[in-house]
Amino acid sequence: MNTRVIKALLKKDIALFMSNRFYLLITVIGLVFYIGVYFVLPSKVDEKLSLAMYAPVVPPAFTQLTNQEGVIIKYFSDEESLKQAVLNGSYQVAISLPSNIMDTWAAGGKPTITVYYASMAPPEISAAIVALVKELSYAQTGQALNFETTEEILGPDMLGNQIALRDRMRPLLAVFILLVEIMSLASLIAVEIEQGTARALLVTPLRTSDLFIAKGLLGVGLAFGQAVLFMALVGGFSHQPLIILVTLIIGSVMVVGTSFLLASLTRDVTAVTGWGVLILILLAVPGFGTVIPGLISDWARVIPSYYLTDTVSRVANYGAGWRDVSMNLAIMAGFTALVIWAGMTALRRRYK
Amino acid sequence: MVENSIIVENLTYRYGNLLAVDHISFKVGAGEILGFLGPNGAGKTTTVKMLTGQLMPQEGHAILLGRDIVKETQAVRSQIGVCFEQANLYEQMSALDNLILFAELFGVKGFDGYALLKRVGLAGREKDKVSGYSKGMKQRLMVARSLVNAPKIIFMDEPTAGLDPVSSEAIGNIILEERDRGATVFLTTHDMWEADKLCHRVAFIDKGKIAAVDTPHNLKQLYGKRSLMAEVAVGGGLEKREINMDTADTARAVEELFEREKVVTIHSEEATLEDIFIKVTGRRLSE
Repeated sequence: MNTRVIKALLKKDIALFMSNRFYLLITVIGLVFYIGVYFVLPSKVDEKLSLAMYAPVVPPAFTQLTNQEGVIIKYFSDEESLKQAVLNGSYQVAISLPSNIMDTWAAGGKPTITVYYASMAPPEISAAIVALVKELSYAQTGQALNFETTEEILGPDMLGNQIALRDRMRPLLAVFILLVEIMSLASLIAVEIEQGTARALLVTPLRTSDLFIAKGLLGVGLAFGQAVLFMALVGGFSHQPLIILVTLIIGSVMVVGTSFLLASLTRDVTAVTGWGVLILILLAVPGFGTVIPGLISDWARVIPSYYLTDTVSRVANYGAGWRDVSMNLAIMAGFTALVIWAGMTALRRRYK
Repeated sequence: MVENSIIVENLTYRYGNLLAVDHISFKVGAGEILGFLGPNGAGKTTTVKMLTGQLMPQEGHAILLGRDIVKETQAVRSQIGVCFEQANLYEQMSALDNLILFAELFGVKGFDGYALLKRVGLAGREKDKVSGYSKGMKQRLMVARSLVNAPKIIFMDEPTAGLDPVSSEAIGNIILEERDRGATVFLTTHDMWEADKLCHRVAFIDKGKIAAVDTPHNLKQLYGKRSLMAEVAVGGGLEKREINMDTADTARAVEELFEREKVVTIHSEEATLEDIFIKVTGRRLSE
């Protein structure tokens, strides 16, 4: 490694990056946009409970409950339309009362109440509904009654957590910032190959490895710098900042390797943009799983960025520690080493 | 002191089934300008790529400045300069910054970019972005870039292609100055006139093989036909007369021409390198 050569190359690349309005624009706009998106999204969870209900016989106490603050009850005429309302996302939870509920209570029995949950409903809602029904029972009979509940989850299993949307989106946005740099760095390399300047560099005493190190440092610097700035501004370092930093560094190196691969497989900047968007979409997919838990199935684990978003999400949003994410970090590191090796090999051939 | 700056033996390269360079051998002396002439696809660029370490020879070897280009690539590259045919400059950077970058890559201490740019006729435009330069200016900057490390061998690939006469002459003069400095110049060109004017020796390459290597003078002696071309007045017009200068009767033929006809103009005519190339290879350089 020749530090003088690497320093000269870095200086040149930074100058070229700064002089290219396109790179500069998408970098600055991207960063501002993602930070803006975070702050525009709601910071609090909506705690008002919307409840769908099917009750062939409406107990009088339920009418009183309808007027209580924080509870909105909508009655349905039949059980099937009630379930459909949950399935189509209109309600996160619904209750179906048996037609003999009053008679059963009067006879001192235990009526069976069916509770339907949307699969994306937060788990806290389950306890809230049971408490609500107990309160209804108490209001009706003046004493706590036993009752049976059967629970049914409707739709795919997407049980999430009571985390604000913007915090759920934080890992996704951070990963987006990293991923955008795949296109910036790949474009920078593609331009050098396209315009023949890479050939001019390679007849000087520099080694190809020096060229890779310089490009890698630039890529890691750009990606990591922006991601860190973003996470710092949106409070992403409140839990285990060291794990987040390590994750972002590995992610940045992964970005560099992917850029090398992309640049080696494309002939010009237009091709970089075209293929880059496809790669960007693919790598962004796992991020949506952090916004809507359960949306992404196990197959997403084959996408390497899954481990990046999953780690950031678990650490930043759920307070996970080293032990919890060690497997994720190991997989990421392994994949990053592979992609860097593949990228450098392919790019070395491309240069020749 | 290395007597021969470049020693090439049996150098060979194939692209698949195509034998681009076919076991060529030649030597270039220190301070010599060698013209490497051949039509498109003859193997010139592949040869230069092997000599500058861009391609690994599949057979044979090349010794530059006493070092094997394959085994000591970096050491050789630190002492050579390459001027490409196609402008490959950092267009968004200034001419000065382009040169400074390469000076840093070569580890040149106390580099004076202004002086070098002045030498190639770009004084006053040092800090302009290269994207605003004309083709001739870019080519001069390419030449300047190949000189930042005061190389002992300079590879120049068609350095004057498509340039106006003023720019061509300026670059020709720089090549001669470099020769005077003691540099060896490996000049790839289509331009026979340029090769004739600048080169100590020329090598004809065709279909991957060296067809002839010698001084332009010797090649003309060996393959050319010297003659006198005269224009004589006949009736109301002019007619041409040719007298071969390489026969025993030349003097008498000249005398008779002046006695019998009204000579309007007369001058000697040598075979050009183009003529000789055709004679040697059966092809035109422009093919």
